[in-house]
Parts: sequence; C-alpha cells; structure tokens
Amino acid sequence: MKLLVCIKQVPDLESRFKPNTEGSWFNEADLAWRMNEYDEYAVEQAVQLREQLGDSAELTVLSIGPDRVVEAIKKTLAMGADNAVHIQDPAAATKDPWQIASIIAAYAKDKGFDLIFTGMQSQDRGSAQVGVTIAELLGYSCATTLVGFAFDNGTVTAKRELEGGIKGVVKLKTPALVTCQLGLNIPRYPTLPNIMKAKRKEITALAVADLLTVEPLARTASFHSPAKKGGGIVLEGDVDNLVDQLIGILKDKTAVLR
Amino acid sequence: MNFELSQDHRVLQSAVRDFVVKEIKPIAAKIDEEHMIPDTLVAKMGEMGFLGSYLPEEYGGAGMDMLSYAIVVEEVSKACGSSGVLISAHTSLCSGPIYTFGTEEQKRKWLPALNSGDTIGCFLLTEPDAGSDAGAIATTCKRDGDDYIINGSKIFITNGGYKGTGVVFATSDRSLKHKGVSAFIIDLQSEGVVILKNENKMGIRGSYTTAFALDNVRIPAANLLGQEGQGFKIAMDTLNGGRIGIASQALGIAEGAFDLALAYSKERKQFGAPICDLQAIQFKLADMYARIETSKLMTYKAACLKDAKKNYTIESAMCKMLASEAASYVTKEAIQIHGGYGFICDYEVERMYRDAKITEIYEGTNEVQRIVISKLLLS
Repeated sequence: MKLLVCIKQVPDLESRFKPNTEGSWFNEADLAWRMNEYDEYAVEQAVQLREQLGDSAELTVLSIGPDRVVEAIKKTLAMGADNAVHIQDPAAATKDPWQIASIIAAYAKDKGFDLIFTGMQSQDRGSAQVGVTIAELLGYSCATTLVGFAFDNGTVTAKRELEGGIKGVVKLKTPALVTCQLGLNIPRYPTLPNIMKAKRKEITALAVADLLTVEPLARTASFHSPAKKGGGIVLEGDVDNLVDQLIGILKDKTAVLR
Repeated sequence: MNFELSQDHRVLQSAVRDFVVKEIKPIAAKIDEEHMIPDTLVAKMGEMGFLGSYLPEEYGGAGMDMLSYAIVVEEVSKACGSSGVLISAHTSLCSGPIYTFGTEEQKRKWLPALNSGDTIGCFLLTEPDAGSDAGAIATTCKRDGDDYIINGSKIFITNGGYKGTGVVFATSDRSLKHKGVSAFIIDLQSEGVVILKNENKMGIRGSYTTAFALDNVRIPAANLLGQEGQGFKIAMDTLNGGRIGIASQALGIAEGAFDLALAYSKERKQFGAPICDLQAIQFKLADMYARIETSKLMTYKAACLKDAKKNYTIESAMCKMLASEAASYVTKEAIQIHGGYGFICDYEVERMYRDAKITEIYEGTNEVQRIVISKLLLS
C-alpha cells in the first residue's frame, strides 16, 4: 500500500511578520520556520498507518518550496516516513492553492498512492483548498477536518468535527485523501536515533517547472499590514460642554442615539 | 568560515526545543521545589536519545557529534539547569570515559544501558580533601585475586543518588600522588557502596549531589579502565570534554533567563511606557546578549574541534569559563530587569540565578580554567 503525506513549512508564529517590499509575501529575512502544525497531525496519522500495515506499506513525504523546506522533510523522515520528494520551488509562497494542488497532483497521478494525508489548512495562508483540490484532480474520494481515523481492509473510517461539537463519521474506499484537524492524535517527537536514521533515507529532488502547467486562478493582488486606526478623540472643556460634544458625536457617528 | 548550524543540526535543535517546551518547561519549577527530576522525565529523555547523543549507534547511542550534544544540553538547560547537568554529567563524565578508554568488552557491557538511560552515570573523583587538587585523592584500591577492593569516601557526586554506574578514581599508593591513581567502572548497587547523603543545595536542586562511603567495595579486575596508574590522565581528559557540557548548560541557563528578561522588558510599563524604552534597560539587554553570543561561539567551536579530532583543551577551558560567567551575569541582570518580581519565586529568573552559580565551580573551578588557559599560553 502506498501512502503520501503532503507537508508545508510555514513561518513560526512567534516570528516578526512584515510584508516584503514588493507587497507579495512576507519579508522572509525576519522569519523562523517550522512544519505547519496541521501537517504534524497528518504525518503522525500517516506514520501510525504505516506502522499498522508494516513493511507492505511505503510512506512518502512531499513538500514544495526552497531548500529550507528540507528541514521539515527531514523531521518527517525522522518521525517515520520512508522516503521523500522535494519539489524545488523558490517561489512556492507566491503560488495560489490551485497551482500548488496541481503540482502535487501532477506528481502523484501515475504513482498509485492509495491514501494521501494533508493538514486541514496551513497556518500562514489558511486557504484549506490544497487537499480537496488534489483529491478532485486525482478523482479520489475525500474527507476533511478529521478528528478520528481508522483503516481496515481498504476502507477509511473518518471521524469529522461538526458544528456544536457534533461528530460525524464517514467511510471512504481507497484511493482517498484526508485532511487532518489539530488534536487528531499526539504527534511524536523525532528522537535523536531516528534523526540519524533519517539521514540515510532518500530525498528525491524534482524541479517545479516539470510539474507546473497551470496559471493561478486567484492571483495575489496585494499583501499589506492593515492601516493603523486613528487614535481616540479626547474631549476637553467643562462638564456641560463635554456632554454636548459627546451626544453630538454619538448622534453623528454611531447608531446609539438614532 | 561558516557560523551557521547545518540543516541537520537545525532539525535536531528544533526537535529538542519542541520536547523541552512541552515536557520540561512546565515542570521546571516543580523539579526545583521537590529536589527531584521525575523518573518519567528521565525515561522520556532516554527514549529521545538525550542520554547517548554522541555515543556510536553500535553501543546504543544516537551516533551524533559533539556539537549535537552541546545543542541538546543547551536547549534542555534553557528550561531546567538540573536536567541539563543530569545529561552532561551522565554523558561526558561516565559514558564518555568508558567509550574513550574502555576495552571493546567494557563498552559492550556498560554503554547500552547508559545510552538508553536505563542506568544513570556519574563520576566519582572529588573527595573531602581533594577538589581542585585531584591528585590528592585518598580513596584506596588494593588488588585481591580477581578483584580490586576500594575504600574511601567521595563527595559532590552529580547523579550519585541514582546509584547507577560510575567511573571511580582510587589510589594504590598515595605517595605516588597522581601517578598512583587508577580508574574503575563501578556498579553503584555493589555491596559496600553507601549513600551518606544527597546534599541540599542553593541551585540545580533537582540534580542529585551525593556523598558516598565506599566500604570494602569489591570491583572485578575486568572493570579497571585503562591501565593501572592511568587514572589521573583519564580524569583530566574526561574533564576536558566535560567542560563543553557544562559550558552548554551555562549557556542554556543564560539564554533561558535572557528570553524571559527580554519579553518582560517589553511588557512591563513604568513612566507610561515599556521599560525596554529606557536606555538603562537597553544597555543591560545589549551586554547580556553579547556575553551569550560570545559564549555560544566558543562552546560550539570547542565542540567542533573535538569533532574534528583536533586539540581543544584551551577552547574547552575558555568556553566553560566564559559561559559560566555569562550565566551568572545574565541571570543576575535578568532579575534586575524584573525588579521586585524577579526576587519572587513565581518568576523563573530567581531559580535560574541560583542554578547559574554552580557552573562557575564544578568540573574545574573557573580559577582552574584560568590556570589551564595560561599554562597553555606560556608552555
């Protein structure tokens, strides 16, 4: 059985976020990087299934981005993936979800993956489109926002989180794709011996130009910090005057006294 | 010259950091209050491979390098100096000399349980009358058939309370001074090994600091480490490497305190603005950070030199000296930045200040480090 987990490296949430001068993405000089948190749950679930299936299964991890994303790939290999694909793309951050999904689908289409895991969304862009779009492009069944996962005899049983804490259970035949919610499991720490073993695992590098054939459908028009709101209004004068001013403002600028 | 960590070292650093933030940081205050590192944490650190980082995979280690070991101790010590020194003393002072000076048979027998953390290692050199003057030890060893019989007392033994595996130093003839000293691997569960007490200390309170009586302890001759009379050399070589561990511990303590002080200086408002707007605070932050970075460069350099199998004696003495003095300075200033709150036990910098002091003292006082450095300069 062939398994694929797709991961993204995102800016650490404690970084200083500033738009770059082109207004297309963050200024990366100020950022520290880590694996998208949702993807950690996807990796853990994929590794657990890999362990459940034993040596009849093979788990591949895929990530798109510049050289730095190999750090996240190596972490996944240390958590238990068998091998890796790094789609080299220094400009991945400016591609839209449609392009990213198309690149992954172009890679995966002739590989015969039975099950694909992704995070529900990324912490930086948060579009939550890539997983479902890959499934659509490959013609796979798909379940999103997993909070529970089981696999038996070619069938995925996926527990989903719904409004008001209600849980729904869906069953999918493979080939399938699932997107994973936070709390699905407890992601393991990569241990030192496994970090060493991961160094011997194969990372295949592919050029993005060989896989990308589509134009963006949602081009980034601007990328900027929100305009600073003006300071408050300071009223001065004696109390009678202050009250008149305040009532005037409330009438003119708010719905309070209408 | 490249001052960046490699990608593999960054993978390691972030893995250790995640573990420390989730598993150690939340209980660091409790470890200090209760004078104990929970067994569950020791076991988890063993599973993570923290207790055998640079020992080869064939003996159950992780097979990493000395720089990786320094990073592990540093990251752990950012949250908890007690846990940091547990790793450092265990690895550098027990597994280290067994690996460096042991026979193949000794390595196979002792290292796997140490590297997994199933037994915790310690180093029994210091005695009531032999601290910096290590050649003056009075614990005796006497050959008796296939055994040696050890008699004497040892004090200030980090990790001693676990009664795991130790490297013990004893003399066959005190008149020979350091030439009479031999080193042995000792199972501290052996008959005649008695814990006199675990010390109550100012800092690193979660770490055992143990006084032992060794009363007619029989050690098989197969446990002799190196040759008879080679003990002093083994001790000095071991401490040489150990200083990288203590420097890493001190560096971590300093960084942990600095992070808290920096964050606090941005939050705390006085005179209508965060105190980090005050030049008095800004200058403190600059001085603290500069000392941390200086210590880090020297510590990593010493580790890299050891990895490259080059001489690193002067660098290991300097990194231990610089980092420990940085730790004492930075933790003191971190309290000052916190003001009165820094003096309250609920704020972690108070613990870090207490933890920092010992790094200027153990594994060679900083006065001894200055002797080592100046001797090499003048030799």
